Amino acid sequence: MEGSYLFSKRLNLQKNLIYFGFLGIFLFFAITLYNDGFLTTRNLTNIVLQTAPATIMAIGLVFVLSSGEIDLSFGSIVAVSALTTALVLQSAPLIMGIMAGLGAGLAIGFFNGILVAYLRLPSFLVTLATMGLFAGIARSMTNLRSIPVLNDTFTGIFGSGKLFSIPSLVIWTILAVLIGHIVYRHTRFGAHILAVGDNARAAQVSGISVARVRLYALTLCGGLAGLAGMLYAGRLQAAKYTLGESDLMTVIAAVIVGGTALYGGKGSIIGALFGSLMMGMLNNGLILMGLDVSDQMIVRGVIILLAVALSLRNFNRI
Amino acid sequence: MTKLAKIFISTILIIFLGSWVSAETIGPGGESATPSSEIVVGNDLVASIQAGNYTAALLWHDQSDFVNAVTAGARDEFTRLGIEVVAVTSAGFDAAKQRNDIETSLARNPSIILSLPLDPVTSAAAFEEAKDAGVALTFLSNLPSGYKHPDDYAAIVTDDLFEMGKQAADALAASMDNSGTVGWIYHDAAYYVTNQRDNAFKTTIENDYPDITIVAEQGISDPARAEEIANAMLLKNPDIGGIYVTWAGPAEGVLAVLRANGNDTTKIVTLDLSEPIALDMVRGGNVVAIIADEAYELGRAMAASAALDLMGEVVPPFIVAPAITVNADNILEGWNQSLNIDPPSSVVSAAQN
Repeated sequence: MEGSYLFSKRLNLQKNLIYFGFLGIFLFFAITLYNDGFLTTRNLTNIVLQTAPATIMAIGLVFVLSSGEIDLSFGSIVAVSALTTALVLQSAPLIMGIMAGLGAGLAIGFFNGILVAYLRLPSFLVTLATMGLFAGIARSMTNLRSIPVLNDTFTGIFGSGKLFSIPSLVIWTILAVLIGHIVYRHTRFGAHILAVGDNARAAQVSGISVARVRLYALTLCGGLAGLAGMLYAGRLQAAKYTLGESDLMTVIAAVIVGGTALYGGKGSIIGALFGSLMMGMLNNGLILMGLDVSDQMIVRGVIILLAVALSLRNFNRI
Repeated sequence: MTKLAKIFISTILIIFLGSWVSAETIGPGGESATPSSEIVVGNDLVASIQAGNYTAALLWHDQSDFVNAVTAGARDEFTRLGIEVVAVTSAGFDAAKQRNDIETSLARNPSIILSLPLDPVTSAAAFEEAKDAGVALTFLSNLPSGYKHPDDYAAIVTDDLFEMGKQAADALAASMDNSGTVGWIYHDAAYYVTNQRDNAFKTTIENDYPDITIVAEQGISDPARAEEIANAMLLKNPDIGGIYVTWAGPAEGVLAVLRANGNDTTKIVTLDLSEPIALDMVRGGNVVAIIADEAYELGRAMAASAALDLMGEVVPPFIVAPAITVNADNILEGWNQSLNIDPPSSVVSAAQN
């Protein structure tokens, strides 16, 4: 009995690794950088604002990974959506810009989904190819130029605005996490995602349309990457082909550290949020510590490696 | 002509010629250039700067030998002035990360930010908060859109970009006895620094070397594609005399193609120091010259102009550091003059043999 109690306690510790890790890193920076601005409201808010696009991409990736697939193209979708929105906003009203950006993300996600779900091509290879394809399209869309976003309403809603003193990027993060969590944990679609990711053949036999679930997961991931692109465009008041390019590894690490299995059937939206915040907090704290850039990269790499190793060890045991 | 008139005309000529030479590299807003050697914090100001307990953040665009040398120049000058460096970042050419870096460093309330804005459009909003907080901003090479001197920033410091392109043309032409055909591999992006250097090369060849013809022009945005581009260029122009490559990264690819084809006659000139390129040059290979900038001096001048701005001194809006033509004969001194470090041991031993 005692052994089983200890085992279950240990399991809880491992299951909640991301939260303990997050808390540990937060406390470390809070103590070491006490006099260096880490704990100021502005700095803590900055961490949430800076990680908002990555958090939203991470939510999309949780759905895709949980279904047993992967999406490597979301960084390129971010750039295409941001540029599409910026270009449309130059000559069309706000709603058209939003629909264009979101539509571009959904359309690319749908394209990935068709290739993966109905043509039965491996998602790793499909999205590796579309990552390059849409990165090229993003470059050629504006001939490598940055496009300014001058629509104040757009930059307010998607970037620098506030509602009841809460920054709009924080609101987007909360909304995406809440809706994502409810859909993932409390809807039939969420259950189907997990069932397909856990055992696609069993899911098929039990009447779930595996292809449709995969299509929806990749489309949703594309749509959320599109939203992340618009958040970047709103925050920078401009769009550029490089947006999202460097987010791939950060987002994958955030999702894995947050408790989502790389091979499907298990995941956590709240974990992905904390994984993303942890990545942002690491970047923030290491800069404030005054470390050289190379040292920042080394420390960040070691911490991520440790966190990922512990998370994956967790899955192996279970 | 009276003596007074001679002095007057001489003065006018000196001013005219001086402005003509320095005006070749112009600022992003058309500003005329001031040599970096004129930006000096005098001993009379050092004590009051030291008493101010000022701090600085260095928010770079990327990591490289160049950035390390700029950082070293800035750090040394800041140390002399008693200014503490509280944050150093690299955005990895990511505009969103650059914005994050600015916001994060502001938590340390720096008095000075030295940075290379990744591009005018995206960095306009990114530096807004720092600008509004009254931080002394000194930019390397680029300027955020709509920023006005001296209210919004202390200065832009950059290389003598036109001179770099011109020296590349002169070096390549000299290696070809001022006649023949050349290929022009330019940076295919709207980027102020490389655009000015590339265009200066082309303009100089076209204007100063009538017996040299540019027979192939090819843009490059991804250095990894340099080999494909060079292959195509050589296929169409097998007897090409020389190739200008926009910077050292893609030049390594072009060099690899020449070697693979057994071509030891086509000359290469490129910009920015690189070990493989320098090694080929020292061993008498295809590379005839590398045009470098004085990166350490850039950092020193950035730090000095920011400190002068903090003291309320007038700082010129656009400051340029000189260019150096590095060849096999001056590689050891040239490397040190540019990056403030000794050349890699492979280059040193090849140069000494």
